[in-house]
Amino acid sequence: MLRYTLRRILQMIPTVIGVIIVTFILFNLVGGSQARTVLGERASVQALEEYDEVRGFNRPLFFGWWTRTRALEDTNFEHHAGFWRTLQGAAHYPAEGNLASRVHLKPGETYEIPLAFDLREDVSYRLRMRYRTAPDSTSAIVVETKTVIDGVSGTNDLETRTELNPSAKWQMAEVLISPAENVSSRKIVVDVGGTDIEVEAISLRRGMKSPWNSQFTFYLLQIVRFDFGVSSSTNQRVSDLLRAGIGPSLALTIPIFVIGLFASISLSLVCAFFRNRFIDRFFVVVAVGLMSINYLIFIIAGQYLLAYRWELFPVWGFESWRYLMLPVLIGVVTGLGSSLRFYRTVMLDEMYRDYVRTAFAKGAGKKKVLFKHVLKNAMVPILTNIVVAIPFLYTGSLLLETFFGIPGLGYLAVNAIYASDVDVIRAIVLIGSILFVLANLVTDISYAAVDPRVKLS
Amino acid sequence: MTERAAQELPEHRSWGSETFRRLAAGKLNLFCLAVVVLYTMLAGYGEFVHFASRAADETPAYNVPNIELKYLPPSLLRSRIEPAEGAFPSAWEHFLTHPLGTDGLGRDVLQRLIQGTRIAFRVGIVTSLIAIPIGVLLGCLAGYFGGRVDDVVVWIYSTFASIPGLLFILAIAMIVGQGLLGVYLGIGLTTWVGLCRLIRGEVIKHKERPYVQAARVLGIGSARIMFFHILPNVFHIVIVTFTIRFPAAVGTEVILSFLGIGVKGEPSWGVMISNARLQLWQGIWWEMTFVTLAIFFLVLSFNILGDALRDALDPRLREDSAS
Repeated sequence: MLRYTLRRILQMIPTVIGVIIVTFILFNLVGGSQARTVLGERASVQALEEYDEVRGFNRPLFFGWWTRTRALEDTNFEHHAGFWRTLQGAAHYPAEGNLASRVHLKPGETYEIPLAFDLREDVSYRLRMRYRTAPDSTSAIVVETKTVIDGVSGTNDLETRTELNPSAKWQMAEVLISPAENVSSRKIVVDVGGTDIEVEAISLRRGMKSPWNSQFTFYLLQIVRFDFGVSSSTNQRVSDLLRAGIGPSLALTIPIFVIGLFASISLSLVCAFFRNRFIDRFFVVVAVGLMSINYLIFIIAGQYLLAYRWELFPVWGFESWRYLMLPVLIGVVTGLGSSLRFYRTVMLDEMYRDYVRTAFAKGAGKKKVLFKHVLKNAMVPILTNIVVAIPFLYTGSLLLETFFGIPGLGYLAVNAIYASDVDVIRAIVLIGSILFVLANLVTDISYAAVDPRVKLS
Repeated sequence: MTERAAQELPEHRSWGSETFRRLAAGKLNLFCLAVVVLYTMLAGYGEFVHFASRAADETPAYNVPNIELKYLPPSLLRSRIEPAEGAFPSAWEHFLTHPLGTDGLGRDVLQRLIQGTRIAFRVGIVTSLIAIPIGVLLGCLAGYFGGRVDDVVVWIYSTFASIPGLLFILAIAMIVGQGLLGVYLGIGLTTWVGLCRLIRGEVIKHKERPYVQAARVLGIGSARIMFFHILPNVFHIVIVTFTIRFPAAVGTEVILSFLGIGVKGEPSWGVMISNARLQLWQGIWWEMTFVTLAIFFLVLSFNILGDALRDALDPRLREDSAS
């Protein structure tokens, strides 16, 4: 038994890893930084950078020495000159023939490329520039960072100064920049010597102290510490939001679950008892009908008719148990159709087993067979269904909570989706998935405890 | 000689006609099939209207507001409902132009319902085109090759199965961006797991059958055996899955559009419910009622057809009736 349990726990690990990878791919790789969507078009570059810093988005995805920085946007000259248009004397040429679009800089000029914010002092930066010079040129091009202190500008020490060789062929230049301490470095200066140069692409990358300091490890650490960051819409800690939401969610879903379970199992027993008689047929038709009505309709109709028109229940809010009655009622009714059908099939499957025939042959009454024999044996599929449904209780019901203003996790999730609040959604999805995996584990182990054959497979 | 052989053989029916014969045994099934066909035609008509107005570069009729005709009741109830303010056409004209009334902007409910049908069918079909190939391909590979391949596929689908469904769909739709593409990908990428499981299980059973072993002995390639020999024999699962997942996808689309994450600017059923819900509080019930009925009949027909098809296509039941 212990060995089986251990094996089953080991088997669980890949699924947990899978869930972590899927959420990571979904929210970091595909979703990327939501900074723009969350903070709006007018947000300053610094605010965007800060948003990414808090959420670990300004790091390499898995591994890497260099990462993007918003100080200088990667410039693709294909459609426009980008920041170069603000620089006097730089001319932008669109692509022609086999020449990519590029920016032309005149000889003898100094061009100051503005940076969005001060470069950080503790790390170094890498500027990459693809350039070429006039064929006969011999003079060097100088690239350096420039500091601006109290409006007086001056270049800082020589370490940040790099000379590029003239080259008639396209060449990729790499310039390492280490911003000096206590000075602000807000400009990169390109001092064009006595030659024309053309620039095809330019990019700035921030160096990482450790290549392992990536978005993925950041995410893993968050999971290990059970700290899911800060919600971007409410600025509260995500773990606090989750803790506040779980109570109302469970207050809604547990009654739905328990009442729904009793209702559907007892109705399915009634169906099995009166098999193929009017009551059975009637419930089957009702079940199919209930399954075909959209969830939304139940909620809207229930809220409008029962609460608003007939004033049987409060319409909206979460103040006392009375406010939960209508959502619970609606939740039970919506789930009834499919679960009634499921449990009826389970009961009828059992009805044809040999032991049932034996029981009848021994002269046991229909009621006794049904409640004592069939129900007991049908408990195995019923229990699986129950345990597997339990983790979904925690996410609450997105729609019921939204409609009735119950401040649970479903309500939280829907609002987070409206606000593109990645951290909150990611945390809810992740925890829901892990609970599901754990519930499956518990089911399997308890099966093995009851039925030794399971261990063999 | 050939005549005698033909006489001795039981009457041969093609797979399709045999299925149809079994389906048509129930009058209700035929009725549901007719309802589905009717909806399909309406969706086709809606598609035509949509593209015609786009080709002509004008606002489609179902989106043109006409404030003077707002909250026009259904034409049959014209006399029983006190007409709101504004101009109204004559009773006959009313029936011809707005048989099911108008909404708060004076747009025709019937035309918008047809457009909703169009979007529902798009979602049902496109998400199936995403989910079914994924499920079939992974299921076949896992079932046929077993071993490491099976482990990887089982790992992928148990991962997907652990993630809470509606939230997963909402998250994908949010990340892909608003509009139908997000809905397609959200539903399509998350709902292949059930099919994959079923196909995998069936393929594992078929792999040991004599016909597959014979094919293997003949030196036929794995891909060919999988997709040309085994797949046709398990294809009934795909058909049944389609009829079950179609209404489910439609229902999910309604919820997504209602939440404002799906369709924008087009009259999807979810968008209509969201509009009609506000009108409901003012006593304007018809848009809500008709959308509800439209969804109900489509989903109900698909549910009944799905059950009937499951029985009609079940090979075990087929063999029983042949003997």
